[in-house]
Amino acid sequence: MAESLTLIALFVLLVGAAGLAIVLRSEIAIEKLMAVQLLGTGGGATLLLLGAATAQPALADVALLLVLLSAFSCAAFTLGEGEPNDGIAKPDEPS
Amino acid sequence: MSLFWSISLLFDIALVAGLIALALHVVVTRDGRGAILAFIAFGLLLGIGWARLASVDVALTEAAIGGGLTGMLLLRAHAHLARHAAPPPPVAPEPRRWLVPAIACGLVTLALTAVVLAFPQPAPSLAHQAVASLETTGLGNPVTAVLLAYRAIDTLLEKIVLILALVGVWSLSRDAAWGGASQLQPAVVPEPLVFLARVLPPFGVLIAVYEVWVGADLPGGTFQAGTILAAMALLVMLAGLRPAPPTQARALRVMLAGGPALFVLVGFLGVAVAQGFLSYPEAIAKPLIVGIEAALTLSIAGTLALLVAGPPDRAPEP
Repeated sequence: MAESLTLIALFVLLVGAAGLAIVLRSEIAIEKLMAVQLLGTGGGATLLLLGAATAQPALADVALLLVLLSAFSCAAFTLGEGEPNDGIAKPDEPS
Repeated sequence: MSLFWSISLLFDIALVAGLIALALHVVVTRDGRGAILAFIAFGLLLGIGWARLASVDVALTEAAIGGGLTGMLLLRAHAHLARHAAPPPPVAPEPRRWLVPAIACGLVTLALTAVVLAFPQPAPSLAHQAVASLETTGLGNPVTAVLLAYRAIDTLLEKIVLILALVGVWSLSRDAAWGGASQLQPAVVPEPLVFLARVLPPFGVLIAVYEVWVGADLPGGTFQAGTILAAMALLVMLAGLRPAPPTQARALRVMLAGGPALFVLVGFLGVAVAQGFLSYPEAIAKPLIVGIEAALTLSIAGTLALLVAGPPDRAPEP
């Protein structure tokens, strides 16, 4: 049981890493933000699986925090958005 | 069993490879904002790394600080620079520019490898003593016992340093704005942000309270909980649902100083009723520690939120 759970966790991690590689190469800022969301959900899933595999229920707390804070960084991202004559790229056009 | 260990090893190798690749991406990428976003992702991934090392307390802190507040601090600084500073002039490309840093980093890595390989086996550890005297504190989490009982003086000084850092940030404000509030709300607040700021904080507050309570016996604790609370407060201020509090408000200052003050008070109480400064009477050790933790959580939350919010830039209302 522990083997298969760790194997699935490895799979989720690898799929997340593949997604991360694609998303981070994007030119659009908001797509890069998706990297954080990807790690929030994918990392949360990985931790839950590992927690079940190694009988460490406390890992569920870490997963909870990952999901909460990745949602929070969405909000932090709005800082500096929509300001006139700013030197940074708008989210919907290439930087 | 051997199959489990080989899969675990494979997982760890994949995790470390991902961490190194992400760290390289953060350093190499040219776009400042993209680098900050990758850095937030790095903090979250590093949280998984700490969890793999069975340091769940560190994993929680890393996810909260590295993945949450530091990212917001950096994004805020970046937005501020983009608003006020002229973009730096393009640097003339020098072909050998990277050579010296690369060699220096390589040497540091080699030296660190040598140090790690030279670690004594088995590693010196106080873990057994920490667990052995856990009973006298009434706690179940050895990390909390180290932070609030065995090495309470370090924790106390750390909290005071946080307050000093906040005083340092406040002292950067202009004379007219002294005692005023910071302006966090962006010029245009997107609708989804307002929705998020209404939905997320109740969950955040619940998780923070849970972290403080569970920290006595299981991984968790004041710093993680304070960071979550700070993040939720910043979210509400960012969406403009509540303005940032004026820094001269008495209630705010009492909250900031309350945690360390209670800690010092209990510390001196120890001189009178127990063995000395910061030693707790054994019978009520746990209630005392949980009480200090609750007050500290509020102080940490306020301090971290105001540190990220930055120096006040609006004149106080008379």
